[in-house]
Amino acid sequence: MALLKTILTRHFLYTPRIVPTITRFTSTESNVVADEDAPVDMQNPFKKEQRQCILCQLKITPDYKNYRLLSQFQSPYSGRIYGRHITGLCKTKQLQVEAEIRKAQNCAYMPYFYKDKTFLKDPKLFDPENPIRSHRF
Amino acid sequence: MPTYELALMLRTMPKAELKTTLKRVSHHIFSRGGIIRNIENLGFRAMPYKTSAHGVVHREANYFVFKIDTPTRVVADLKEEYGRDVDIIRQRVYKATEETNTNCTLEKELLPPAYRKEVQNMIEEGKTQVNKFTYKFNYNSGLDYYPFQK
Ligand SMILES: [Zn+2]
Repeated sequence: MALLKTILTRHFLYTPRIVPTITRFTSTESNVVADEDAPVDMQNPFKKEQRQCILCQLKITPDYKNYRLLSQFQSPYSGRIYGRHITGLCKTKQLQVEAEIRKAQNCAYMPYFYKDKTFLKDPKLFDPENPIRSHRF
Repeated sequence: MPTYELALMLRTMPKAELKTTLKRVSHHIFSRGGIIRNIENLGFRAMPYKTSAHGVVHREANYFVFKIDTPTRVVADLKEEYGRDVDIIRQRVYKATEETNTNCTLEKELLPPAYRKEVQNMIEEGKTQVNKFTYKFNYNSGLDYYPFQK
């Protein structure tokens, strides 16, 4: 009896694969066992999340009356509008931002050649020193 | 009637005068069959650049935005009217933009060039053109002389 016990425990301890008993309500038991190691149909777990630009993420439509937001896309040194490779916006948003900045400058809400000094300490939305693509400026 | 945004810059003046000016501006719109949806006051502040209007240099202005519905042919008339108004330094009319919800295409734009749709189209278009760098004149073209300067 003791021998049987040791054999049993050894068997359970040292078997590399312990198949747990699963109670399934299926008619064909053999089929279930065959499916155990088969690849499972699932979504790619390593798929990365879709990147979005900051304006699309926050669902902001640029507006010329909101010149404080627009001034964040302007260089503090020359007042020029930063390009898409610096701002990291998508094409449509970048075009909208540029158009709205032009409007705001034309309406005398925003200066052409400098950035309003009260907005100089606004939080940075992007780093002009590290553009996505290299540029000659 | 499309919706327009009329951005006005008014000269510095006391509140009572400002009120009469705004009334005058609105009456011009109403008399031409327009309606005002909204009036926004963006405040009195220094202009980013000095502006001379009607013989005076202005450095500060009262900013107002009128959201108006007017017939399109009236807009030029309104502009002319406000251009003659001495209290108005500067005026701009823009079409009011609606909120557009488009999907972000940033992910597609950051792909390597060969995977971008516009680059693929460009390559396709290039295939239909004559490549002037690799093009070579064929001597057996039916002419008995070389037609270009050597
Ligand atoms: Zn976007």
